[in-house]
Amino acid sequence: MWGVVKSVLAAFFGVQKERQRQHDFSEGKPVAFIMTGIVLAVALVIAILLVATLASR
Amino acid sequence: MRKTYVLAALITGLAGLERNALANGWNMPVGVTEVSRHVHGLHMTIFWICVVIGAVVFSVMFYSLFRYRRSKGAQAANFHEHTTVEIFWTAIPLLILVAMAIPATATLRHMYDASEADLEVMVTGHQWRWHYDYVGEDVGYFSNLTTPREQIDGTQAKDANYLLEVDQPLVLPVDRKVRLLMTSSDVIHSWWVPDLAVKKDAIPGFVNEAWTRIDEPGIYRGQCAELCGKDHGFMPVVVHAMAQDEFDAWLAERKQEAAAAASGVDRNWTLPELMERGEQVYGSICASCHQPEGQGLPPTFPALVGNQALLEDLEGHIDTVVNGVAGTPMPAFSGTLNAVDIAAVITFERNAWGNDTGDIIQPSTIQAQLSP
Amino acid sequence: MAPKLPLKARLEHSENVAGGTAVQDHDAHHSSGPLRWLLTTNHKEIGTLYLIFSLTMFLIGGAMALVIRLELFQPGLQLVRPEFFNQMTTMHGLIMVFGAVMPGFVGLANWMVPLQIGAPDMALPRLNNFSFWLLPVAFLLLLSTLLMPGGGPNFGWTFYAPLSTTYAPPSTTFFILAMHMAGISSILGAINIIATILNLRAPGMRLMDMTLFVWTWLITAFLLIAVMPVLAGVITMMLLDINFGTSFFNAAGGGDPVLFQHLFWFFGHPEVYIMILPAFGIISVIVPAFARKPLFGYASMVYATASIAILSFLVWAHHMFSVGLPLIAELFFMYTTMLIAVPTGVKVFNWIATLFRGSITFETPMLFALAFIVLFTIGGFSGLMLAIAPADFQYHDTYFVVAHFHYVLVPGAVFSIMAAVYYWLPKWTGHYPDECLGRWHFWLSVIGVNLLFFPMHFAGLAGMPRRIPDYALQFADFNMASSIGGFLFGFSQLLFVWVVIKCVRGGVTAPAKAWDGATDLEWSVPSPAPLHTFETPPDLRRVAG
Repeated sequence: MWGVVKSVLAAFFGVQKERQRQHDFSEGKPVAFIMTGIVLAVALVIAILLVATLASR
Repeated sequence: MRKTYVLAALITGLAGLERNALANGWNMPVGVTEVSRHVHGLHMTIFWICVVIGAVVFSVMFYSLFRYRRSKGAQAANFHEHTTVEIFWTAIPLLILVAMAIPATATLRHMYDASEADLEVMVTGHQWRWHYDYVGEDVGYFSNLTTPREQIDGTQAKDANYLLEVDQPLVLPVDRKVRLLMTSSDVIHSWWVPDLAVKKDAIPGFVNEAWTRIDEPGIYRGQCAELCGKDHGFMPVVVHAMAQDEFDAWLAERKQEAAAAASGVDRNWTLPELMERGEQVYGSICASCHQPEGQGLPPTFPALVGNQALLEDLEGHIDTVVNGVAGTPMPAFSGTLNAVDIAAVITFERNAWGNDTGDIIQPSTIQAQLSP
Repeated sequence: MAPKLPLKARLEHSENVAGGTAVQDHDAHHSSGPLRWLLTTNHKEIGTLYLIFSLTMFLIGGAMALVIRLELFQPGLQLVRPEFFNQMTTMHGLIMVFGAVMPGFVGLANWMVPLQIGAPDMALPRLNNFSFWLLPVAFLLLLSTLLMPGGGPNFGWTFYAPLSTTYAPPSTTFFILAMHMAGISSILGAINIIATILNLRAPGMRLMDMTLFVWTWLITAFLLIAVMPVLAGVITMMLLDINFGTSFFNAAGGGDPVLFQHLFWFFGHPEVYIMILPAFGIISVIVPAFARKPLFGYASMVYATASIAILSFLVWAHHMFSVGLPLIAELFFMYTTMLIAVPTGVKVFNWIATLFRGSITFETPMLFALAFIVLFTIGGFSGLMLAIAPADFQYHDTYFVVAHFHYVLVPGAVFSIMAAVYYWLPKWTGHYPDECLGRWHFWLSVIGVNLLFFPMHFAGLAGMPRRIPDYALQFADFNMASSIGGFLFGFSQLLFVWVVIKCVRGGVTAPAKAWDGATDLEWSVPSPAPLHTFETPPDLRRVAG
């Protein structure tokens, strides 16, 4: 699970190791990555919204 | 040592270039408010960040292009990954942007704090002129472009403030916080004066808020920034900033004029009087759509000359001008023109260009409709 | 790029399957005569149709741009009236976005996606034919509005309500119909591309073996399916406001003009990426070919593209900083917009790292690709400046914005399409494009495009609003320079037309692998590519192991 999160975070950041990518694409299940991606995307939106809320106080 | 000199000379040169660009109108103006100076500072900071990043990136690129030409026998390496480098060049821009976001947030908060204003002005966008209303002062007027048609068409030399000159500018006191309330009577306009760093959309049905505090007396010019139809390019904004006592005197004078206009409502006006006044009003308000000779621009803007439906229906004509026509570009003038002006312009339209109906509409008739 | 597959094995192997030979018998049941192009379901022919359509629209939209530049050559109104000027700016934008750039990329996808994944054709050939033929109908209808009473659309390509509803010319209903058709065409095209990429890859080709061009198109196609229905929704609401008395955007009836802008830009910002992601893909294919070195950070490039696609849904209101959003929304959209600069920057760094220690030659496609990297980056910088909300109050709706998006769209998207055309012409026609003329076209275009758009930065900073037919005297020099650049750039494109025609008719014969550094699958089929290729898919499994 942590490995999937790490890979998705790497995708958000835009940098990934070739070896890890090979691993993800041969071993991982696409559904897990997509679900984690959606969850983390929502988390990102909430995080930015939180920062914006704090900054506008 | 020599390198340091070259670098110093380069920086001095670039700084000089920037000042020069400013003086020649190549750059964003520094402006005359605290906010505009902050905005200019942010603009120059992000600009120089981009210049530095660009210089580094393009240097590496052109070095590679020059150094690794096949014509010079370059052999291709085969690497295609380097995680450390990639993390490095992703993280650095991220940090630069976070650093940039902090002052930008501060300036934005400052811009959004329109509280405790000394003066409030309602700014209403119309196709294609601005209307200013001093809230609580009973003073309001249109601000129209005064550049003559001949200059636009090129039959007359253009003067220095070509397209940036109006009959009545917005007059504001210096060193006072002025809240500007923006709205529109038709389409979306945008009120913009670069020297004040104020640009806010004027949206029908909404009231937007902006504020400014001008440091130096002077005349500051801007334009409508949001496409608003045919004459979008011909509705300038001019702000005349003056000392508080001058401003007070000006406001008092405008109040007297408004009172004088109101007293004219009760007397009977003659046809030539109404025609003269009506021609002025028509020229500054109506002619941009219905055209100087009343021929209109069908199908959007109907003709007034020889318009039988209009000429046979006086009540309808008055209603159209006073209340506007919903679902069309025709606005209601009940809130922006006084009874004398409305009576005069209707009389003018019914008697000019061969529309010889002989109708005389008295301001008192209109007044009855304006104040039910 | 497929780092795992050694290039030699792939090409050798593909020669064994001999994609594109012994297919002549297929032409027997292929329509001939005038109906052939109308009824074709072949991805190469439809690709060609798309590209010809795109070029035609590019020239028509360009002619409109020249009308604009001619009027703006000097202060004062000389050539056209403001009413017509507004129709020209609107039509220029609509035609270039929906008629030239998008169909250009779809045409390239039609031609190259099947060839790059080893598929015999697109997955849905009849749908492919339909989605192309919607376009000429849509744009004929759109162009015909110029002749209708009251003229064509005159409210800018962003068609903000209520200028585009209550205050619009009567022809607006036809404009809405035309946009609906173009939108349907885009959605169908996108469905087809996704179906092709997900289902028709050669055996053994995994997603991460696909070229960047295929990858970026896959992501773009998802963006298209996500946002084109939003556009369809917003124009339908306009249609109801205009013809059926609703008040979605009419404040007098309780509607909200700002709602229009939110909906439009929720479509419009991903749309911007729809027009640039395939360009990233093209550049990521061309740069390695002429640097003779694998693409640096292939995985990162794919991930960055996905990042950009996701973030593109979170930044739309940065087009609306001056509409009076609450402070918290301004901050949110400023932060997300600044974030999106990061993956975009990563792409530029990756291209430059690909060049580093390569073995570089400068054929015409490479020249366009290199110009893309430099000039797109300049457009990216001005984009970063625009992201700073307080400064955006000064930039917004001025020529600074016009300069920004033309830098990313013309030397960005358009140059990438030209690079792609020069790169793949040998595959399409069997002849190399004339290198000398190509270089002339390149240098004239680069000089013209910069002379055209660079002074617009200064005009905007000095205070010139966009979409005005006449301007104050202090903007005169910038506009004169821009107009001269515009004519130089515009007329150089006739040279491009000539190069393409010349290449179709003859020239130096190109071998199957026309560029010695090119490694992708399309170079394994003969040049010109026969009508039918990869009828037996190349089996990449054995060499992949």
